[in-house]
Amino acid sequence: MSAVVRSRPWLLTLIALAVLVAVNTALQPSFVQPAVLQSNLTTFLPLTLVAIGQTYVVMGGDIDLSVGAIAALVNVVTVSAIAAVGGDGLTPIIAGLAAGLATAVVCGVINGVLVAVLRLQAIVTTFATGIVFAGTALFVLPQAGLPVPEAFWRSYGATLIGLPVVLWILLAGLAFALFLGRRPFVAHLTAVGGSRVGAFQTGLSLSRVRIGAFVLSALFAGFAALCLTGETASGDPLLGQSLALSSISAVVLGGTALSGGSGGPVGSILGALVLGMIGNVIFFAGLPFAWQTLVQGLIVLAALAGGVLVTRR
Amino acid sequence: MTLRSGLTNPLTLAAIAILALLAVGETLSPGFARGDQIVRLLTVAAILGIVAAGQNLVILGGREGIDLSVGPMISLGAVIAGNIMAGANAAILPAILAATAVTFLIGIVNGLGVTLVRIPPLVMTLGMTAIVQGGLVVYSQGIPSGNAAPALMAFINRPLVLGLPGILFVWAIIAVGLTFLLRRTAFGYAVYAIGANERAAMLVGLPVNRIRCLLYGLSGFFAGLTGVCVIGYTGNSFISVGDQYVLSSIIAVVIGGTSLAGGAGGYIGTVLGAVALVLLQSVLTTLQLENYGRQIIFGMTLLVLMLLYGRQGRLRV
Amino acid sequence: MTPGEAATAAGGQDAALLDAQGVGKRFGAVVALSDGRLRVEAGEIHALLGANGCGKSTLCKVIAGTVAPDSGTIAVGGDVVQFRNPRDAEQAGIALFYQELSLIPQLSVAANIGLGREPRTGLGFVDRRRLNSEAEALIALFAGVAGAELKPEAIVADLTPDLRQIVEILKVLARRPRLIILDEATAALDGRQSARLFEILRARKAEGVSTLMISHRLDEVFAVSDRITVMRGGATVAQLVTAGTNRDQVVRHMVGDARIHPVTSQRMPPALAEPRLTAQGVRNARVHDVSLSLRPGEIVGLGGLQGQGQSALLQGLFGALPFTAGRVTIAGETVALTRTADAIRRGLAYVSGDRGRDAALTGRSIFENLVAALLVREKRRLVRPSELDPLATRHADSLNTQYAGLDAPIGTLSGGNQQKIFIARWLATGPRVLLLDDPTKGIDLAAKGDLLAIMRKLADEGASILIYSSEDAELIEWCDRVLVFNSGRIVTELAGPTLDHFHLARAAYGEAA
Ligand SMILES: Nc1ncnc2c1ncn2[C@@H]1O[C@H](COP(=O)(O)OP(=O)(O)OP(=O)(O)O)[C@@H](O)[C@H]1O
Ligand SMILES: [Mg+2]
Repeated sequence: MSAVVRSRPWLLTLIALAVLVAVNTALQPSFVQPAVLQSNLTTFLPLTLVAIGQTYVVMGGDIDLSVGAIAALVNVVTVSAIAAVGGDGLTPIIAGLAAGLATAVVCGVINGVLVAVLRLQAIVTTFATGIVFAGTALFVLPQAGLPVPEAFWRSYGATLIGLPVVLWILLAGLAFALFLGRRPFVAHLTAVGGSRVGAFQTGLSLSRVRIGAFVLSALFAGFAALCLTGETASGDPLLGQSLALSSISAVVLGGTALSGGSGGPVGSILGALVLGMIGNVIFFAGLPFAWQTLVQGLIVLAALAGGVLVTRR
Repeated sequence: MTLRSGLTNPLTLAAIAILALLAVGETLSPGFARGDQIVRLLTVAAILGIVAAGQNLVILGGREGIDLSVGPMISLGAVIAGNIMAGANAAILPAILAATAVTFLIGIVNGLGVTLVRIPPLVMTLGMTAIVQGGLVVYSQGIPSGNAAPALMAFINRPLVLGLPGILFVWAIIAVGLTFLLRRTAFGYAVYAIGANERAAMLVGLPVNRIRCLLYGLSGFFAGLTGVCVIGYTGNSFISVGDQYVLSSIIAVVIGGTSLAGGAGGYIGTVLGAVALVLLQSVLTTLQLENYGRQIIFGMTLLVLMLLYGRQGRLRV
Repeated sequence: MTPGEAATAAGGQDAALLDAQGVGKRFGAVVALSDGRLRVEAGEIHALLGANGCGKSTLCKVIAGTVAPDSGTIAVGGDVVQFRNPRDAEQAGIALFYQELSLIPQLSVAANIGLGREPRTGLGFVDRRRLNSEAEALIALFAGVAGAELKPEAIVADLTPDLRQIVEILKVLARRPRLIILDEATAALDGRQSARLFEILRARKAEGVSTLMISHRLDEVFAVSDRITVMRGGATVAQLVTAGTNRDQVVRHMVGDARIHPVTSQRMPPALAEPRLTAQGVRNARVHDVSLSLRPGEIVGLGGLQGQGQSALLQGLFGALPFTAGRVTIAGETVALTRTADAIRRGLAYVSGDRGRDAALTGRSIFENLVAALLVREKRRLVRPSELDPLATRHADSLNTQYAGLDAPIGTLSGGNQQKIFIARWLATGPRVLLLDDPTKGIDLAAKGDLLAIMRKLADEGASILIYSSEDAELIEWCDRVLVFNSGRIVTELAGPTLDHFHLARAAYGEAA
């Protein structure tokens, strides 16, 4: 049993998720209705996407604290680009998406180069670049506003072949994670996170791998920003401030070690859903508002402790 | 102890950065580097420096050591101290004892989670942040309560000896004490040893888990003490007063030359790091800038500081 | 990287496979290499010898592209090359076995072997099946000598040191190099494993592949090499043909005029005193029901194949891998050894051969590394470096360690000199029972002689010594008696006339063969 769990730590996260879903359904019988499920998924999706990207950086032995700021920047760039292009139809939306995602890639490259080429410590570097990105977001759009065209948020809330778009996005994220997981890139990333020296001596190109991870992280933060834009239908330079730390919690809950060299995004997806469900359960348990943070902290720590204790040899 | 050529030494570079920032500040706004202004800045730096002391110890101990829960522990320390003092000088000592004892114990719980249960420090202390913050909300119902005793406020804000407030002497004592602890005691050697290689430390007979727990406890202690200073500085407290110190304490440690990987660094660098950080923030406020401009310059300056001396070694030597 | 003079790009048939000339490299103030010269022909086995810290590893790393030389030229097949990284060297057909291993602990054996050159399917995915089958085929090279844990799916961190070393060898072979460089590849291997490695190298040699091997074991050097290059103090001092030279000549080149202790021991009859340490029916994960008794003045060896519980017994006695059953007495008193500190304060000391994992306080100074155990043993609270410096220097010098100063970081020492510091760490505690777990891994002949002399002296002063070594010769020459292990149990005790290579091998392979 423990050998199975040790090689697939996300099994535990899956069990935790199942328990939370059961508890939530007991507390809130309407939880299983499609509309409720969809609205829940809409709430959890941004964190889930950010957690996928964060996983790659963490597997490589780094950490990305700037994802929240990147999400904010992508959001304001997208809405500003849409407003700048103006007009109806798809053209402004496509321009907005392209501008947003291009911004994300640039942010990822900046992080990656600072950490992998200029050899700065990831945690402080991404904290500092996060401040710069957040400042830039404020520069682009000083106040929340600038509504996006109706087509944008309508299609985000729509269904496609009978399933909500948000579910398709989640499935696409999962499919991407599984796809990438079988490519040599992830093997190399794990090696770089497991032992820098060993990976270098083996002849891997460390900077390319690490920059790649930061770009992925930024790109997923960008996707999350687009989802948030679809949800709120406008720009907000202060959006997503809790994403960085929550995504790291999700990654760890999903069984990826912060020291690098192990784990994978499937666990992080489950971890993000667990975090979201914990919030739900606490809300529906009818706890007084003042107690909610306290209980949430306790449950998260209990889940982590449970996971560690079960996988321990 | 190692003789390094001057310019690559983080301490020298930090000192240079501090002088440069002072010069910039003085140019931008004459009077910036005046004596009383500097004392004011040092007071703010001292408060940051005291939490950073605990953060420094935890980071030196390695195994991804970090303490994100210092923020709410500072708030908790301030609230406890404020409530016990309630403006009365006689209650200062019990207030300090109670605040630091409680946060010390919370730190020990962090340590137990990290060592016995093996939860990664980042998430353990993040979870603890939620718990302590939640506890504060439950306890205070969101309404700030308690206030500082006048003598405490004077100790922190008024000159005591040589025109310097008492808190600077406390900081100096902490700096000397901690440096002595790290460089001249077996405990200090043990901290570096477990930070450098935990298994090797176990094999030379060091009680690795006990030491690590104690480091987290000390981080709690220093956070509680900072809470007392914060309420002494501002007079009263609110429940998120400590939040701003979490990341700045980590940055002070890192730009002071301590490696986040553990096992390398020291407190003198952190002292300079705290001063540099506070100076930088103050220079930025004197600039008549929009909020975004301040942020961008702050972030960029941090990056430049790290480029100057926070770089990791090359793999190809 | 200054190219230096143009190499003799003679081309044609007299171009060597590898020709390194005048290679120099300094690390800060330390000159690691002043004049490294090396010429390896195609299809030969070439040995590179020299004392600890003479620059062998550095020269190999320069050749493999991991270290940037300050001067000198390197030619491969007659063409001058300038490798910017290990990848360039690999493309030129050079693969290096790293003395401190280049494995990724978290990855599987197969992933490590194939790292960076994974077979792919049409979709660009890693072809796991082929990755595993290729690893399987390579592992088969060591079939019968490597232990069943060595499987493609096994995680490297879970393997014993010898198996990790074999994985590093396989990783090198998998790259199909023209030049295999082995930097002390047999250091943790037992006799059978080394023999198998040499069979493989000879087979490769028949295919025209050359091997450059570094070793401190002269027996194997003379058994397998065609030519020998000797280095001293960062420079190449001799290039010899193995058949035309002998051990004395080689050793003289290695040490210059330095004096070396004869590597033999005059055996004293063990004192008829009470046992210093006894163990009765002890067990832990890898030890099953072992009993032994150790008298003052005795040097007792633990023999047998790799990983038969010798190391687990030593770690158990030291409290690092506590016993789950059985009884241990020290000086007649029953003790519960569950913490290393207890063992240390009772006068036990444990020297591990796996220095990177078990000993090195990475990034800390030599001084800190040296006094670490002493502080615990003496329950010191304060540390005054000025007071401890002379003692630290004395113990480091007792093994002739080469170092710039006690304040230099431990990582600036060569592998063997690091190991000497870790041995000195325990000598400084004045141990009454010395537990040695393959302590000579990577240390040169002179230091082995010094270590033996020190062991003998400690024993004569009444200490008891329990030693495991992967080199049978050390057990035979150094020990009063040897307990041979198999599968966590003692199968035989050899002493006096039966303590020789033949009996040791027979007892070790006995049931396993
Ligand atoms: N990264 C480094 N930084 C500083 N000095 C170094 C470094 N690497 C090696 N040295 C020094 O260079 C010299 C040669 O080291 P090297 O590792 O090449 O020795 P070696 O011949 O392989 O010895 P051994 O037999 O002990 O492995 C030593 O004095 C060592 O201290
Ligand atoms: Mg070497």
